[in-house]
Amino acid sequence: MSDSSGGPVQRAIEEIFYPADRIPLVEWREFSGARSTVSLTAALTLLSFVTGLSNLSQPSVTLAGPLAGLLPTSLAVPLARFGGVLFAFVLGILAVGLQRRKRIAWLAAAVVVPALAVLPLTTLRPTDIPVLVLIAITFPLHVRNRDQFRQSLDLSSLQIASLSAILGVVLYGTVGSYGLRDQFGGISTWGDAFYYVIVTIATVGYGDITPTTGISKWFSLSIILFGTGAFTVAVGALIGPAIESRMAAAFGNMTASELTLLEDHVVVLGYGDVTESLLEELGAETELVVVTPDQETASQLNTEGVNVLTDDPTDESVLRDARTDAARGVVVGSDDDARDVLAVLATRNVDPDVRIVAAANEARNVEKLESVGADDVINPLEIGGRLLGRSVLGGDSRSLLNEISGNADDE
Amino acid sequence: MSTGSQRGGVAGSVLVPLCAVSGAIVLAGFFFPGFIGETVSGEAWLTIALVFFSSGLGYLAVLPHSSDEEGALPESYLLRVRRRGVREMLRGFLARQELATLAPAVVLFALFFLLQVALPDAVSGVVGGVTDAILSVGGPVFLAAVFVSVCYCLFLLLGPWGGIKLGGPDVEPSYTLPTFFTLVFTAGIAAGVVFWGPAEALFHYQTPPPYVDAAPESSAAIGGALTYALFHWGLSAWSAYAVIGVPIAYFVFNRGAPLRVSTILAPFLGVDGLDSRWSTLVDTLAVFAIIGGIATSVALVSEQFLTGTSFQWGVTAGRLGPVLFVGGLTLIFCLSAVSGVHRGIRRISGVTMLLFGLFAALIVAVGPRTFVFERGTQALGSYAVNFVPLSVYLDGQWVADWTVWNWSWWFSWAPFAGLFIAALSRGRRIRTVVFVSVIATSAATMAWFLILGGTSLFVQHTGRADVLAAMSSYGSAEAVAGFPLFEALPLSQLLMFLFLALIITFMATSADTSTLVVATLAAKRGLAPSSASIVFWGVLQGSVAVAVLLVGGAGTLQALAVLTGGPFAVLSLVALIGLTGTFYRHERGHTSVIGHVRNRLPEIQTHPDLDPPDND
Repeated sequence: MSDSSGGPVQRAIEEIFYPADRIPLVEWREFSGARSTVSLTAALTLLSFVTGLSNLSQPSVTLAGPLAGLLPTSLAVPLARFGGVLFAFVLGILAVGLQRRKRIAWLAAAVVVPALAVLPLTTLRPTDIPVLVLIAITFPLHVRNRDQFRQSLDLSSLQIASLSAILGVVLYGTVGSYGLRDQFGGISTWGDAFYYVIVTIATVGYGDITPTTGISKWFSLSIILFGTGAFTVAVGALIGPAIESRMAAAFGNMTASELTLLEDHVVVLGYGDVTESLLEELGAETELVVVTPDQETASQLNTEGVNVLTDDPTDESVLRDARTDAARGVVVGSDDDARDVLAVLATRNVDPDVRIVAAANEARNVEKLESVGADDVINPLEIGGRLLGRSVLGGDSRSLLNEISGNADDE
Repeated sequence: MSTGSQRGGVAGSVLVPLCAVSGAIVLAGFFFPGFIGETVSGEAWLTIALVFFSSGLGYLAVLPHSSDEEGALPESYLLRVRRRGVREMLRGFLARQELATLAPAVVLFALFFLLQVALPDAVSGVVGGVTDAILSVGGPVFLAAVFVSVCYCLFLLLGPWGGIKLGGPDVEPSYTLPTFFTLVFTAGIAAGVVFWGPAEALFHYQTPPPYVDAAPESSAAIGGALTYALFHWGLSAWSAYAVIGVPIAYFVFNRGAPLRVSTILAPFLGVDGLDSRWSTLVDTLAVFAIIGGIATSVALVSEQFLTGTSFQWGVTAGRLGPVLFVGGLTLIFCLSAVSGVHRGIRRISGVTMLLFGLFAALIVAVGPRTFVFERGTQALGSYAVNFVPLSVYLDGQWVADWTVWNWSWWFSWAPFAGLFIAALSRGRRIRTVVFVSVIATSAATMAWFLILGGTSLFVQHTGRADVLAAMSSYGSAEAVAGFPLFEALPLSQLLMFLFLALIITFMATSADTSTLVVATLAAKRGLAPSSASIVFWGVLQGSVAVAVLLVGGAGTLQALAVLTGGPFAVLSLVALIGLTGTFYRHERGHTSVIGHVRNRLPEIQTHPDLDPPDND
């Protein structure tokens, strides 16, 4: 304090009224990030679902909104009845995509979220207002965070093939059965044709529409063969990778999509004697990623619920995978000071600005670690020794801790 | 591990499920009124909704703050408390209290309630007599104090002393301007603003004040009614806070005085002489005024809240209802005060401000915009023109009942609001402090009174609803004014819910700040109040409120608390004299606003031909 005359008084006021250096009214940074966008989209999904159910539970449809007059009744009524729930399913899928920072999910959400506003603006029951408000909050956040969602979909060739096969079969079936509608019992519109194809591919086959001639029977068979085939392959191609990633996780490796979610985390390079208590200290406060080449340590940590990347912490590409550039800080703390120096160097190559804290195993290596770019180097053995010394002479070891943390504050 | 996250964890594990379950029920009732709405009774709905709202606010308060992680002080404090037994804790608690402030306040309240139980009629008779006497005899003093305050604030705003930086030139303000404004605004004004918003102008419309020469309930009475509402809640009112707050802030941050109300006496006693009996007297009086003012407000607000719900939905709360309501409110503001300015107090203030803005915007959206705009601008003009005459107008009982009573009320809150303004203003220039705590706050209240008062006058005058009849059918008239008004507007249910929510948050934001301020006042000089003492003072306020509800005598206690405004009106004048002297001696060389403007125009002013170089 600059005012020395009122030392204790100022400190007392400080404690109560100045708990932080800067107190903004709203911590916008906490609320405006990509994470909030995803959570808001999820909340919107839930709210849209509940609002949709609420609309469905009404005995009659109310169309009191400003858009009710603009939409034809044949569109407005089903929209008011089923719109909310249907939008919710689409939004749910998009929320998952957004959570993985997928570009395509962002593009779709940028269309679907404003489109959802049509529903409350058509009905405008009092229960629709929350959805409207939430859209008004979510959409600007979507636009604001557009750069955060840039992961491409990364479909494997099998996934692309099976998905396009399904699309192809549906197109082929719809156009074909509409063209052959005279040879079917029950198809007269495009809607009927589409309905017939979906019912057939899904192997439901109500039997309300049936082929009546030879050609149409052969045609139907082709839909069944290709359609169900493509359907089965697609299911395998889409679900298989998910199971694979589970397997990978069991061996202590984070999947690519998990890695892309990391933000403001702490990267721990190497696993040594001090790392255990470090994890306990940090675990509750922030997200952690441990990078260690040791397979055994990795799977053990993984069972404890710690994020692990089983790879060489002195390799720049691994550090990029651990998203060191988005990390809050990096802790270097293996049992080998030589490897630690390499890890510090590699980290500096990846990101010159990130804060690096290193634990030196021997006092003579402190300076070396500092000179290769560590912001702070701590020698745990030295601190432990000094604590032991104080303690055996009956001193309060706590005061030493205060001393150390006090020194750190002064610097 | 920080105490913040731990405390958040413990309280959170109770509050989060509570909030989630009650919230789910409320949402279900909202979305599916057909299935669920009718199976639950009105009382249950009220309870569930209140539980939902209060647990949500409570959880918001205990959420940890990003700065808490590094805080070493709370941790050491937590260790201290945990290691002690109850007796030890009590001793530690008392050791940190200024007993000279604590004891008289507690004894005074106990005495009041004893007398109230024993001789209720005598007590209220005496207090009523004293009140009438003071309000009619002391009227000129109140008017003078308020008028001088306004003038002084304007001088600080425009004059050279506004440039003084509180805390010295190097100190940076911790609170951003929006935070500063929101905290001061929501703390300085309680739920009264919500109730009186639609009601005040209606009262003046029904019986025009003597200054306004108009027939009752006539079109001419509308302008006068709005002008008086502006006058009672505008610049004059907020100036009363600033003239207590600015002297405290200056002596605390620039002269090293303790953060006390008695610091306003520093120019006379000296900073080192602030341990004298006079300052103890002032601080004790301040504690009494704060607790009395807040506790009676809490009690009255809870009664008004339940009167409103019973008027609108026929929900009878019984005798226990207000007590439970006060209990819940006490829980919220204690949590908020203990969690600190940066956590609970800031967040609940933010929520209040959001609801306040949303509500006003909704009323503008669904209300009579042209009427409010036309009448509002007229009223603003008339307020500006008639400000001086209104400020010195002292004629008859009406002024004593309304204006003087109102000024006394604001002055009785001034020790608490002023001290809070002072505490937050470190690192700011006096000009900024006055601008935020007088101009910005009164602009917000005046906009509110124009929007709500204008709308209610429109509804009443055009006969859309007879709000006045509804008010006269109920004892506490201002409590029910909002409901028939909103009934006459679109989205009425939503407006009513927002209205009720605003009442709770406005009360909570005043009470949590007052708890913190009283705890600071009653702590030993140089010591920050511990969490235990903050809880103690919060619970004391809550219990006084409960006692008022059980014993009765809310009106009497409120009159007593409001009467403490008298001494503070005088003290504010004394403080201003002292501050002027100090500024005159020590604070030369600051630039006034006019000087700043002149400095901005160097090309025109310092043309060599026109302006001979007489200054270096």
